[in-house]
Parts: sequence; C-alpha cells; structure tokens
Amino acid sequence: MDGVNPVPKLYRSVIEDVIEGVRDLFAEEGIEEQVLKDLKQLWETKVLQSKATEDFFRNSVHSPLFTLQLPRGLHQTLQSSTASLLIPAGKTLPTFITAELGTSNSSANFTYPGYPVHVPAGVTLQTASGHLYKVNVPIMVTQTSGRANILQHPFQQVFQQLGQPSIIQTSIPQLNPYCLEATTEKSQRMETVLQQPVVLRSGTVDRKHLENATGDTLIHPGNEHKIMSEALLSHPENSQYISLSGVVFPPQVSQMDSDVEPVLSVSASMTQNLHGGPLSTGPQGAQHQHMPDVQLRVLKNRMCGCDSVKQPRNTEEPSSLPVSEKDSNSQMDLSIHVADDDINEIIQIDGTGDTSSSDEIGTTRDVDENKFLGITDAGDLKVLEEASSISNEDSTANSSDNEDPQVDLVEEDPLNSGDDVSEQDVPDLFDTDNVIVCQYEKIHRSKNKWKFYLKDGVMCFGGRDYVFAKAIGDAEW
Amino acid sequence: MAYQLYRNTTLGNSLQESLDEFIQSQQITPQLALQVLLQFDKAINSALAQRVRNRVNFRGSLNTYRFCDNVWTFVLNDVEFREVTELIKVDKVKIVACDGKNTGSNTTE
Repeated sequence: MDGVNPVPKLYRSVIEDVIEGVRDLFAEEGIEEQVLKDLKQLWETKVLQSKATEDFFRNSVHSPLFTLQLPRGLHQTLQSSTASLLIPAGKTLPTFITAELGTSNSSANFTYPGYPVHVPAGVTLQTASGHLYKVNVPIMVTQTSGRANILQHPFQQVFQQLGQPSIIQTSIPQLNPYCLEATTEKSQRMETVLQQPVVLRSGTVDRKHLENATGDTLIHPGNEHKIMSEALLSHPENSQYISLSGVVFPPQVSQMDSDVEPVLSVSASMTQNLHGGPLSTGPQGAQHQHMPDVQLRVLKNRMCGCDSVKQPRNTEEPSSLPVSEKDSNSQMDLSIHVADDDINEIIQIDGTGDTSSSDEIGTTRDVDENKFLGITDAGDLKVLEEASSISNEDSTANSSDNEDPQVDLVEEDPLNSGDDVSEQDVPDLFDTDNVIVCQYEKIHRSKNKWKFYLKDGVMCFGGRDYVFAKAIGDAEW
Repeated sequence: MAYQLYRNTTLGNSLQESLDEFIQSQQITPQLALQVLLQFDKAINSALAQRVRNRVNFRGSLNTYRFCDNVWTFVLNDVEFREVTELIKVDKVKIVACDGKNTGSNTTE
C-alpha cells in the first residue's frame, strides 16, 4: 500500500456515492437515467482533467492509450469493427478507468495499432492524459504519415468537447504527424499521447465549440508550428473545412492573443511531459520529434519567461529542427531573454545598490512617490514636503543619502507615506493556488507560536490533491 | 447536516461546474443541482471521516490568521508538509478550517 495515492480511489468512491444517492432524486424529478450518467461522466472527466489525478497518467505517457468508454450496446460493435482493441500490458492505468467495464459503461483500452481505427458514433475517447472526447459520428483515427488522409466518412459533428473548451492540436498535413492533444484550463496540465502520433480527423466541428476555440486559440505563429485550433485539419477536399482553414492557417501570424494563453500554458506543461516521454522511439522517431519541437516552439513563444517552458527548451536544443522553425526559435529565445532582462532590471534601492549614484536612488524614490501620489492628497503632500524640508534644513544629519535638499525632500515623503500598509497585500494574499480545506480540532497559540490540530482535510497544491485524516502543524507568526 | 466546506475542492468544483452545464442545457433544474450538492456534502464528509486514515505534519510561518463565524482562515508561508511517504513544500498556503470538534455540528460555508 505504500506509495499508492489514495486520492483517486477516494474520489471515485465519493462520485459513486453521490451518484447513487441522487439516483432517486433524479427519478423523482422524472429525469432520465441517461442524464445522470452524463453527469457522472462529465464530473469524472473534469476530475481526471484536473491535475488532481495526474500521477495516474504520468506513467502512461510512455504508451499511447485510448480508453473507450462506450455507451451500452456499442461495446459489441466496437469490438467487431476494431479487432485491434488491445489491453495494454502496462498496468499504469488508474484503476477507475480500467474498472469501467460494467454493463452500463463499458470501456476498453487500446494502444494505437498501425492502421486506422474506426470509431463508431457515441464513443467517448479518452486519451492517456484523461481528456475525454465524445465522438458523435463515426470517425477514423488515423496516423498521419506526412500527408493528409482522406476521411472516409462524411462527418457532421464529430467532436463534442467535454468539459471546458478544449483545442485539438494537430499537425498540418504537409508537416509531420503529431499527437492528439487537447488543452483545457490553464491550471490543468496536459499530458499527451506520444509515441505513436495519432490524428483524429473529423468533419465539421461543432460550431459552438469551434467558435469558442477559434476565438481563443486561433492564430499560431507560423505554419511551421503546425498547430491548429479545434478542427483538425483542413482537408482541402472537404469544403466544410474551408471556413476553418482561414482560421487555422494564418500566414505566419505570430500573434500572442491573451486568450490563447490559457491554452498555451497548459500546453507548456504538456511539453514538459512530452519531453519526459521517450521522444525518440520507433520508426516515428524522427517525425515524432518534430511535433514536440513544434509544440515546444509555440509554447515557448507564448510562455515568455515561464519556467516550465525553459526546461524543455534547454533539453530540446540538441534535437534536430527543420530550418523553418529557426525563426520561431530565435523569436522564442528572444522573448525569454527579454523576460530575463526584466528580472535583472529590478531596481534595488538598498543593499547592493549603494554604489549607484544618489540620483538614481532619488529617481527611484520619485517613482515610488508617484505611486503614492495617487493615494495621498496633493495638499497633504505639500504639507509633508514643507515639513520635511524644514526638518531637513534643521538637521543635515538626517539625510543619509544626499546633501541636496531637493532630493531630501523627495526622500522624506516616502518615509512618511511608507507608514501606509499597502492595500494590495490583503486581496492577493488570500488568493492562492495552494488551499487546504479541513476542520479544526484545536487551534492553540502561545505568544506568537501557533499550533494547529486539524482533521479531515483536502489539500490542493498547485492543482494536485492530497487528503489527510489528521494534520498537526506549527507556525510562528 | 454536513459542512459545505468541501465544495471548493477539485472534486466539488468539478461537480458544480458539471451541474452548471446541465442547468444551462436545462437538463436538470437548479433545485435538483442543489440537492446533488447537498448529497455531495454528505458523501465527502463521511468519506473523509471514514476512508482516510493518514496523518500529515507541517511547519511554516504564519502570515495571517482570521477567526470569524467559527471559521479559521490562515495564510502560511514557506510551509513543509510531511507525510510518511513524501515531503511537499509550498511557499504559500491558505488553510480554511471549520469547527471540527465532536460537539460541533454546523452547516456553515
């Protein structure tokens, strides 16, 4: 039992309990059983998509896995049409996915076979990362080999995203295959199926989602990144794509949409995992590397200064890159470099900044003071100035920085206005990613030493969840 | 009645979001959604009380504390959480704690 995270099991059991508990309620309201099932699925999807259970998927990054959650009745169909359904040997799947073999919700896992897989309608595809895609119409899951594969079925609405708006990133046909991926909320990390790139192709994507996604993701810097929003590809022969293609293939637009950030930030995490996975594997090795590189470039472009991006950057450098990507590389490097510069340029007033001229310090104080001007009245400021100027004239010893009376004036005001407690601390202080929700048995304080006796808590650190029955802590205030 | 405290967790938030989507699509009524959440409160409270058995220790520095309506809210900095299996370090954590004494049984957020 050591090392096994109890969280997913616990969550699973809670979900089950709740659904069972409300089953009667739903029945009383005259709501169909299917709605309850959908609710359960949606809830599970969201939980899986969150980082809370990411540990369970981390191991499975190495092998591409699709879990098909089939509605009743389709199980047989799926098996007959895709004899390639394989249960992967790796036992990395979280138990509550593989356990989905009940009559009402059967699922099967399979690694991507070498040939296209036909997925009938109504199937929910779940990637190894836990992202669920509900397929409304039959689709072909194919592996691109550098050229567009012609869809064999007319598709209406293939993709129904479950959960938050997600974007499917795929490679441009003339470029290399990549992997299926969806981005979700910013706070969620994504792991992608790696080793054998798969492209989910579809007809028109559900308009609503498309609009959401295109509004959000849209334009990627350069075709070389081979990323498209939502709909997968622009198959030229399919007129339905045309409207998308305009969106999807913007010529060399390197636009950093603020809306895109959530997508990208997730992708950044994804690339971390991408890097973590074995990138150079199998015959798709060379091609395969392009995808993560490509995505990395995009991510890096967007995630200026983001630490999570920097990691893959350092490690990905040696990998071979197509020439077309170099521009984006330099762009990316520049953007990160700029971020570094910004950090270096933080003005220091104290300590090591002593050797800098007093003028600079005065200037800095001016900047600070300008901020305070917004808070204090101009009239009060004048009074302060007068008072400080008088006091300065009286005791020149007070001015430690400069003998210039004017500079003293400026420096004295922040001295007084510094008494104000910044109002920014309080709202920001309580807004954090790391939260513990629990009950207290006893809170003890002795002078400034606090002791906490807590129980039944759920902790969320950077998205990852932990639980405890008891927690004992010490802190000094 | 169980604390509604745990609604602001991954599990609780995802449930609320899912319910909201269903309300939007008018598959369920808001009243029913509320009932589901109440059921969730019961389930999570009992699950935590009965199915979780581990202990955690932590140490850090207290930045702020607040006690209002019998709810403690702390913000700690540079905290280390120690479990038998692992060590977790965070630079800032917020703790929201409702009264968990056995004699207390309230329904507060």
